[in-house]
Amino acid sequence: MTHSHHAISARSAGHLACERCGAVFPLSQEGQPCTRCDHNLRSRDMRSMQKVWAWWLVGVMCYIPANLEPMLRTRTLVHTSEDTIVAGAIALMHHGDYGVAAIILIASVGIPVAKFAAVAYLALSVRGVGKMAPGRRQHLYELVEYIGRWSMIDVFVVAILSALVQLNVAASISPGPAALTFALSVIFTMLAAQSFDSRLIWDTLGDDVQNDAPDADLQKKERP
Amino acid sequence: MSEPENTPDEILVESAGRSILERVSIVWLVPLGALLIALAIAWQHWRDRGALIEIIFEDAAGIRVSETELKFRDVTVGVVESVRLQDDMLHVAVGVRIDNRVVEFVDEDAVFWVVRPEVSARGVTGLDTVLSGVYLEGEWDSQPGTPQDSFEGRDTAPLLSPGQKGLQITLRGVGDEGITGDAPILYQGVEVGEIGPARIAEDGNTVLADAVIYAPYDRRITSTTRFWNTSGFSLSFGPNGASVDFATISSLLAGGITFDTAASGGFPAEDGDVFELYDAEEDARASLFARAEGPSIDMTLIFDTNVAGLRPDAPVELAGLKVGRITNLTGLVDPERFGDAQVRLLATMALQPERLGLSTEDDAEGLDVMQYLQQAVAGGMRARLTNASLLTGGLKVDLVTLEGAPAAELDMNGVPFPVFPTAPAELTDVAATAESVFNRVNNLPIEELLQSGIDFLNSATSLVSSEDVRGTPEDLRGLLGDIRGIVGSEKVQQVPDQLSTLMTELTGTASELNKTLAAINENELVAHLTSTIQTLDETAASAKTAIDGVPELLDQANVVVAKLNTIPVERLSDDLSGLIQATEALIDTPQARNLPTDMSAALSELALVLEELRNGGTVENVNRTLQSASNAADRIADASQELPALVNRVNGLVAKAQGLLGDYDGNSAVNRDVRNALRAVTEAARALDGLASTIERRPNSLILGR
Repeated sequence: MTHSHHAISARSAGHLACERCGAVFPLSQEGQPCTRCDHNLRSRDMRSMQKVWAWWLVGVMCYIPANLEPMLRTRTLVHTSEDTIVAGAIALMHHGDYGVAAIILIASVGIPVAKFAAVAYLALSVRGVGKMAPGRRQHLYELVEYIGRWSMIDVFVVAILSALVQLNVAASISPGPAALTFALSVIFTMLAAQSFDSRLIWDTLGDDVQNDAPDADLQKKERP
Repeated sequence: MSEPENTPDEILVESAGRSILERVSIVWLVPLGALLIALAIAWQHWRDRGALIEIIFEDAAGIRVSETELKFRDVTVGVVESVRLQDDMLHVAVGVRIDNRVVEFVDEDAVFWVVRPEVSARGVTGLDTVLSGVYLEGEWDSQPGTPQDSFEGRDTAPLLSPGQKGLQITLRGVGDEGITGDAPILYQGVEVGEIGPARIAEDGNTVLADAVIYAPYDRRITSTTRFWNTSGFSLSFGPNGASVDFATISSLLAGGITFDTAASGGFPAEDGDVFELYDAEEDARASLFARAEGPSIDMTLIFDTNVAGLRPDAPVELAGLKVGRITNLTGLVDPERFGDAQVRLLATMALQPERLGLSTEDDAEGLDVMQYLQQAVAGGMRARLTNASLLTGGLKVDLVTLEGAPAAELDMNGVPFPVFPTAPAELTDVAATAESVFNRVNNLPIEELLQSGIDFLNSATSLVSSEDVRGTPEDLRGLLGDIRGIVGSEKVQQVPDQLSTLMTELTGTASELNKTLAAINENELVAHLTSTIQTLDETAASAKTAIDGVPELLDQANVVVAKLNTIPVERLSDDLSGLIQATEALIDTPQARNLPTDMSAALSELALVLEELRNGGTVENVNRTLQSASNAADRIADASQELPALVNRVNGLVAKAQGLLGDYDGNSAVNRDVRNALRAVTEAARALDGLASTIERRPNSLILGR
């Protein structure tokens, strides 16, 4: 924390860097296209938090039916079963497959829920909520970015099973409605994480930073 | 405050100048769209959600929430949402969410049942539910009605599966076998219907079962149709041996019901009609012409006598008409009532007043039945045991009116039933009667009869083979030989010769007469002649008389021959007939054996008669006559000596002589008589010859009398 206090951001120094090619321009160039790569120059993405929250909200909305609706529709000769994610994991646990059940629970419940929480925390932390150091928060952000793609492992399993287990009359597996919503939920969560402008993590550091948040009113309230 | 100092004006201006659209990210459209989609889905889901109905079942075996489906014609139209016990703990209420499309059809006539796997003699149904679990099946018509939300579930599927047409009837078992439920209804061996589970009727006496006849066979059911049980198995003995017939396997296992419309003219049956089910085809067919059996009146009969052979179901008859049957038999010891400890037989008889022509429509008329019986009993009606079958020794109860029966009355206070008075049994001991018949047959003298026949045949054989009988034809032959000897004897043969000699001599006499006439002419012996002629006249007359005697003689011979021709032979025949009769009657007597001897004697006598005939003086008489004629001629010759005197009388004499001679000429009576005599003799000979040849040809005719 202490060393951050001594760091000077580009913005506080009156500069901004092109996000694509890294060219440095004076802060007055903000809103103008980059002279080198024609990318729109932004010191901070003013609508980043809106996008984060929007994608985050859709992701959470999609995650609700993903857990209520059946993920797999398994039809055998004698029986047709539709299992939701949690019910399937519990059924596996009842059969003694604790390892598999743990994997499913972690991949399908633990990680998505943790991602929602992490993104929400990161978004809130920009507003000063939470005492975690900016470096830890950067690590958390990178972790969320990295792990996001692996959340699709559930959908991947369902897709493979549906493709492989098509034994006509004897048995067949088809994806349930939850597979779609779960995939959508993962996608939207990844979009929310991507929409987060990680530079905002650092803007909350010192009082020396002026105009670090797009919303001036909020900054004023935090001050006193 | 410090804000304007730190922030460049341009930036502030730019920030304030942004419109709301620029400040709010367009990404917010995504959660907004997602929200709208979710709301739309939720609303559509809520809108499409069908009605929740509740079906009451006895239990919920196999029904699982949100898995068990409701099907209509094998299409899923709902899912069980809840299974809960009713508050009274007696039934289970199954909540079923049914599709909106069928809600309006699920009205008050809808029925629901649980389809379960079922294995019966007729096959396996609901096999798919073994693996998939049970499901509910519903049936309703295609007419929308007022939707209802609570139903009584059925235990079993209706006999007519959904969409099937047929006639729904009720069968009432009237026989002893009742009804076997869940059985096929066969017609000519084809399964045309089905009978549901049997149940006891409310009166507790009859068995009812719903049945269904599938279309188009239901047209065969009319008011004259009769149903009866078929066991599916029949065993029959006949001249061709025993035969065993099987119907379908399922009817063999579960029994079956078949029917026939025996009489025409019935009107078509309608749903809900009640038909009676008979035990056997005979009963069913007989019922066509009989009244339906109505309720019966039970009465008690008490018999003192041995009732071996009386069994339950034995008929109770009134004047040969079955009016009831024995339903129960038991012993009864009641010293207080009868004064001794003897075991009596107590039989319960079920009278059917309708068979008596009495109606039992209601209680008031039921009393009339009792009144009628009381009057009948007062008039002498009694129950009496009689033989039902001579062979099996079975007994039946006859209601007979006995004249002078001891006074008795219908004991209406009998327990448990009114006591009907009885009369002593009238039983025939069939065995004893049959035994006496056989004894009499046994006692018939068959052996003696046969022995007599054998003896008779032996005697006949010995008679026929006896020497005397064999000698009889020979004696007859001898008799014929004798007769032939008579006919062929010299003297009989000579009769014509002698006659011709007589004629010759007469011719000679005539010649001499001629000469005498010539001498008369010469000697004029007319005077003499007168007397002579008178004499001659007399002589001629006598000659004529003598000659007339010849035919008489021949007539006598003729008579003899005729007698020979007729009497002896007829008598012989008669005697022979008598002989045969005597033989038949007294064939074993010694007289019969001596008969041939007697006959030989008779024939010998006959031969003697013929011998006498042969020795008789017929020829001598002729000779004598001719001799006297010759003498007369001699006298004429002598008289001619006086011819001249007799010339005048010669004419007359000649005339007379001519007349006389005329008589002798040609067809004189003599000749005719002689010829007749000869012919008679010839006929006699021929008759005897015929007899002889007949006997030669057929000696047995002598014995047989023909």
